[in-house]
Amino acid sequence: MLKVVSKEVLGARLPKNIRALCVATHSQKFRTSEDKPSYHSSSNSAQYYKIPQDIRNQLFAHGGIPKSYNIQTKSFAETCLMVREPSLDIINCIKSIDYSKPVNRFVLYGKKGSGKSLALAHVVHYGLETGHLILHVPWVGQWMRYCKEYSNSELKPGNVDINLDAANWLVHFKTQNAHVLSNADLVIGQDYVWSKREKTQKGAHILELIEHGISRVKYASSCVLGLCMEIKELSKKGKCKTMVAIDGYNGFFYPKTRVYTEKKEMVPPSKVTVTEGFLEVTKFDWNNAVCVLTVDEIASAKEDQLSHMPKYLLGKEGFEHLDPFIPVAVNEYTDKEFTSCMEYYRERKWVQPAPGQDEELSFLSGSNPYKLMQICAGL
Amino acid sequence: MALVKTLANLKSVQILTNKLAALSVVQQNGMSMYPPYYINPIFKKDAQVELFENGEAQKLAHIPTKAALIDQTCSIYYDDDIRLFRNYIMRSGRKSLARELLDKAFEKVKRSQLEKFHKAKTEEDKNKIVLDPREVFHMAVDNCKPVLFLTPIKRGGVKYQVPVPITEKKSQFLSMKWLIEAATDKERTVHFPEKLAYELIDASNNTGRVVKRKQDLHRQCEANRAYAHYRWS
Repeated sequence: MLKVVSKEVLGARLPKNIRALCVATHSQKFRTSEDKPSYHSSSNSAQYYKIPQDIRNQLFAHGGIPKSYNIQTKSFAETCLMVREPSLDIINCIKSIDYSKPVNRFVLYGKKGSGKSLALAHVVHYGLETGHLILHVPWVGQWMRYCKEYSNSELKPGNVDINLDAANWLVHFKTQNAHVLSNADLVIGQDYVWSKREKTQKGAHILELIEHGISRVKYASSCVLGLCMEIKELSKKGKCKTMVAIDGYNGFFYPKTRVYTEKKEMVPPSKVTVTEGFLEVTKFDWNNAVCVLTVDEIASAKEDQLSHMPKYLLGKEGFEHLDPFIPVAVNEYTDKEFTSCMEYYRERKWVQPAPGQDEELSFLSGSNPYKLMQICAGL
Repeated sequence: MALVKTLANLKSVQILTNKLAALSVVQQNGMSMYPPYYINPIFKKDAQVELFENGEAQKLAHIPTKAALIDQTCSIYYDDDIRLFRNYIMRSGRKSLARELLDKAFEKVKRSQLEKFHKAKTEEDKNKIVLDPREVFHMAVDNCKPVLFLTPIKRGGVKYQVPVPITEKKSQFLSMKWLIEAATDKERTVHFPEKLAYELIDASNNTGRVVKRKQDLHRQCEANRAYAHYRWS
């Protein structure tokens, strides 16, 4: 009987979010069948939504979902994200933004393991759905602390290139923006001279710049820099809407890096070529864009992880660079989110049901999402 | 000549039994720091409540009781066998490391079982797969428990491997010890939790090296059944 009713309800052409709500109340409360972030509302809060496999491959094939959660998605045989307050807030704000005004900067902050990166992933998914050009850096720490290779820059004397990582990022950018890059309007506004024989001419498609960086890894860092500048110009002209999403943004201001010059001197992030590009796109002096950044303790060295607050993590220079920004706190699970998470774990057979389990686990983990995940792993 | 030998044998048996009796007096509570009349603590909250309800607590109130161990908790996930196994894994008192290793092994067990679960096509196959790593562990330990073992007994200057029955406690100890030994015998690049998880799953399916070791022991016992009477004569 119920099934028949629900089918009738579905048959009637209700708005999509109401339809999703009907399905959710009929099946499980911790899941929503609505897989489009733009339709998520506060009624979906604390519910899991599934990211379709093709979108996942497009968005997060080269990073973007933290490693530990990536392993989880393999065990769960699906990629699900919880719709949580911070990402919902940001999405709602982005919906009502006036794109002709200077860029709004959102900064996600919170304690370790509270779900900043996954909130960012949710917002990035929204960006894809609404056709933004996504400038997504999966993890700045990868560049500043675990870079694969470094060399002195040829085009910018005094700077240091991290070419392998930059080339990887270009591939990431290209796969992520496959939907936008087919647009013929995206052309380069200036000549780029790489060497005597190689140059990218004004008026060429932006893809050429990216392809050049990927095929000539030697110039990848400069390509990234150029790409950022070009995107900024294109957005200003109104050729595209841009979403800048950077995870671990404070890495660009943390003085200790593991990038060295050829003389083995430590290089501050300001001297790393790619930094300049991403600092440029997080300024307020352009429009048709939105920035969503996260600041994370883990992007700095262990001895300096004293606070999770943006002011401490960004330092004076970074804070002034971003000022004014909109801070968005990512907190521990609320009770509702916690039960929803445990329901999900049980449904995925990750945890066997036991009486009194939720209460004990919430005590042990302090409702911290990452800690909860770790504790549940051995049960 | 033969008579002398049998006499000598008899004498030695007598001495042995005397010795055993003496040992049993001394070893009543092993290495325990508590006198033997101390009883084990009841540390679980619900068990204590039950004791109060049925009046047992009154009886126990004035009996000297051992202190609860540091890792005996009221958690719903407390399991005495797992606690024991964790302590067997532990080396040089690094309990947190032992706990970490065992938790990781359980995680690996769960992940590989879940993978099989999602691969299985029919509902029947899915139901067969045990997803709870703790249950896998208990099954593994049960499957590896020997029922007999060999003990060397000297008769006429020759040591015979004599099959003798085994106590529950010792057989559990051997089972756990063998599982850990199988997990430590690995290549340098493989980590302990990974190998332990592999062995646990194997043993829970009644296959693998540890179960084979048990069967080998049983076979040896079977082969040495002719010496069985040395146990008492």
